[in-house]
Amino acid sequence: MAGSLQTDTQLSADVLLDDSRLPKVPEPGAMVIFGASGDLTARKLIPALYDLATQRRLPMKFAVVGVSRTQMSHDEFRKKLRKTLNEQRAGKVRDSVWESFCGSVFYLPGDTKKAETYQELKDFLKRLDGERGTRGNRAFYLASSPTLFPAVVEKLGEAGMNRGENGGWARLVIEKPFGRDLESAKELNTGIRRYFEETQIYRIDHYLGKETVQNIMALRFSNSVFEPLWSQHYVDHVQITVAEDIGIGTRGAFYEEAGALRDIVQNHLMQVLCLTAMEPPVAFDSEGVREEKVKVLKSVRRIPRDKVGEFAVRGQYTSGWVWGEEVSGYREEKNVAPDSTTDTYVALKLFIDNWRWAGVPFYVRAGKRLPKRVTEIAIQFKRTPHAPFAGAENLEPNILVVRVQPEEGVSLKIGAKVPGSGFRIRSVNMDLLYGTAFLEEVPDAYQRLLLDLMLGDPTLFIRADETESAWDILDPVISSWAESEKVAFYPAGSWGPAESEELVARDGREWRRP
Amino acid sequence: MAAAVIGESRSAPEGGAMSVEQIERGLARLRMNEDGSLGARASVLNLIVVTDEESAPEIAQVVSSLSGHYPCRAIIMISDPDEERSKLDVSLSAFCSLRHGIPGGTGNQICAEQITIHAEGPPAAHLESLAGPLLLPDLPVFLWYPNGRMPRPAESDGMAALADRLILDSGGVDDSEAFMRGVAHLSASGSPEVGDLQWAALSPWRSLVADLFAPPERAGELGKIKRVEVLYRPVGESRVLLFVGWLASALGWRPESAVCGERRGREFKFSGPSGEVTATLSPDSPDARLRRVRILSEECSYQVSRHRELSDVSSTVMRGDELLAERTVQLGSFDSGVLVGEELRYRGRDEVYEASLQMTAEMLDL
Ligand SMILES: NC(=O)c1ccc[n+]([C@@H]2O[C@H](COP(=O)([O-])OP(=O)(O)OC[C@H]3O[C@@H](n4cnc5c(N)ncnc54)[C@H](OP(=O)(O)O)[C@@H]3O)[C@@H](O)[C@H]2O)c1
Repeated sequence: MAGSLQTDTQLSADVLLDDSRLPKVPEPGAMVIFGASGDLTARKLIPALYDLATQRRLPMKFAVVGVSRTQMSHDEFRKKLRKTLNEQRAGKVRDSVWESFCGSVFYLPGDTKKAETYQELKDFLKRLDGERGTRGNRAFYLASSPTLFPAVVEKLGEAGMNRGENGGWARLVIEKPFGRDLESAKELNTGIRRYFEETQIYRIDHYLGKETVQNIMALRFSNSVFEPLWSQHYVDHVQITVAEDIGIGTRGAFYEEAGALRDIVQNHLMQVLCLTAMEPPVAFDSEGVREEKVKVLKSVRRIPRDKVGEFAVRGQYTSGWVWGEEVSGYREEKNVAPDSTTDTYVALKLFIDNWRWAGVPFYVRAGKRLPKRVTEIAIQFKRTPHAPFAGAENLEPNILVVRVQPEEGVSLKIGAKVPGSGFRIRSVNMDLLYGTAFLEEVPDAYQRLLLDLMLGDPTLFIRADETESAWDILDPVISSWAESEKVAFYPAGSWGPAESEELVARDGREWRRP
Repeated sequence: MAAAVIGESRSAPEGGAMSVEQIERGLARLRMNEDGSLGARASVLNLIVVTDEESAPEIAQVVSSLSGHYPCRAIIMISDPDEERSKLDVSLSAFCSLRHGIPGGTGNQICAEQITIHAEGPPAAHLESLAGPLLLPDLPVFLWYPNGRMPRPAESDGMAALADRLILDSGGVDDSEAFMRGVAHLSASGSPEVGDLQWAALSPWRSLVADLFAPPERAGELGKIKRVEVLYRPVGESRVLLFVGWLASALGWRPESAVCGERRGREFKFSGPSGEVTATLSPDSPDARLRRVRILSEECSYQVSRHRELSDVSSTVMRGDELLAERTVQLGSFDSGVLVGEELRYRGRDEVYEASLQMTAEMLDL
């Protein structure tokens, strides 16, 4: 029939959709979630998809297929998801909308270690292409234990599912952790790339889905007043803090294997470091942004294996008080070894050996059971070369703080004259809470990332060389710590161990109190 | 999230005739907290509203509700130029919101300011002389006429000359036809940019209709549309006319004839790429301004229809009796606050709107 169409009747839906007011809606497609009976699926993925669907951001022809070993029917799976959603937003889930959404949610019980699961899945997806118009497009979301990733990828590849059906696309989503050191990350990446091209791979670091993290780029690259100062000419040093007030909760077993370095520093903190230090990208697209981030990671000076003690501090919390509550120490937590040396706190001193940052130390730290939850970047500027006032030795330097959470904003510490006779200078903090300027409801990070995934935009996902470079920076620390028993303790509710203070004090500097 | 914000409304005791300096000082005083600290002012735009005595309280409400999403300096002008006596009365208020619940949060306040000016007699004929000096520098100026009023083009209208963007409401008038023609004329003049709340209200409908044709196998159907049927409530006429104008201009239909149908309904005939297209507009909806859109091609029918409770909307595609696709989503709110908010997001000319509006004007001229 298409052949008989006259050319002037060949309109595409773009004539209706090409409009800045209308949201961009992805092509039809199916999302397969491996690990569908798990926590991430119910708490994050399905709520995000439901929100996207109700806000008309998903295509009409869309389907979700959950896979895990637990035996459930489609309906049992849907009921389970609905229950979690109800718990999250009491009374706010509309029956009619949920019914319409969950009609496109399916469940397929199966062990991802077994080949027959993939044959079944393949047939089921083909059926959906016919019945629900998903057009051979598939996104495979690996939301099960990371130890299963290589097997799932291999089996997908062997079943020929690394390519979309009938010219459709196939994309693979990988949750952190991306390996546990450089070697395993490389192995994982190589394993995946035997079947999937890098352009098909979407590594999720949900930090990048946060509006406030993206705003670091907006702040740097849409304002001409900051950028000229953003270099070794004017910057004395940079401090990046990712602090949590919570402990490890019930995830003792997981945390014993991970630790703060793997759980936070390798991904979230390195990403914030990249966004802080990177050169302006040529374009805000996947290659432009990710290329610049990798350049930063590549130019981070590697810490010599025998000097790790001078550049890194491993800390662990003991009992203490956090926000009016007495909490136990790490070694007393459930599923934690009584002599555990796992890091719940990390402080590092890094250098970025490039034209812009030569000689500027980046002090970075991340930890649990610190006094409050805060993520911030503090740029401390050099002192003025000469101050013509009495007592000028005590003049404090300017500090520009970019706060990512909780209260997003910028604050600048500047010197001002104290009113009255004489010429006394005092520091004043100027707060610009640009975050609070817009009280918009911020979309959840997963919502943003899942939409980008369906749209095929990998800008906010992590490329293989990013994960590998980040591990490469941390590998000497990991291996040196593995061979030592030395841990610096800090009471819960403090800003970290004394050793961490010494790390910066040796350079004549000190940590800020965020 | 909105729940994490508490707000506080503050009004200044003074009032009456005030000078510009008195107004600025009064507003700064309103931002002062009990402990003497000054609440930060965050502003992304200026919003001037021209209204009358009767609707002023409701407008003030809408403006306060906007201050969270679009922190601005709002100037509400209640004007009555027909009074003989000159009168000028100013009152000030600020809406301060506070993010709280964050341990260690600094509790910084952000305040949005509202200036209400009551002008009667000759001053009411020169509102620009009052609004101009009160605008915050370096920020865009939005001018909102909620009651179906409309300024003249900028070269002959002081208020329009102040504004970067005009927000009108073709749904707020009795003679929407004349109004639409007026807007078309104004928008053709190019300055200021024009927006219509009734157009803003169409965004979800337009995106739902576009989604129906998004699958590649259906895109071909767009060229084969034969009929469009729209069910609406009489007050929604301008919204519906714009909708049909949008379809016609996007799909390249040429308007040919118009007849007034029964009970104020209308029927338009277009020549489309593959023959005649008929659009029937029936004002029989008991509730919603726009209740249902049905689009028929040779083979299929496409429908977007609000549920009885109105908050949800269903889309269906049928071939004969066979249901090919269906889904239900939330439609969102059409409160004036939401619609004005949508208009405040946009800067620059909205070419899709302008094309739809010109098409609508052509349809009305048949
Ligand atoms: N939860 C979070 O907030 C979060 C945040 C960031 C990253 N992540 C990452 O996301 C992934 C999933 O986390 P999670 O918290 O959802 O874990 P989880 O609750 O333990 O879920 C794991 C899932 O994998 C399934 N599974 C295990 N072995 C299987 C097999 N052989 N075949 C098929 N299914 C199998 C399990 O279901 P059955 O027992 O029914 O098979 C379960 O549904 C992990 O990589 C984690 O690191 C999670």
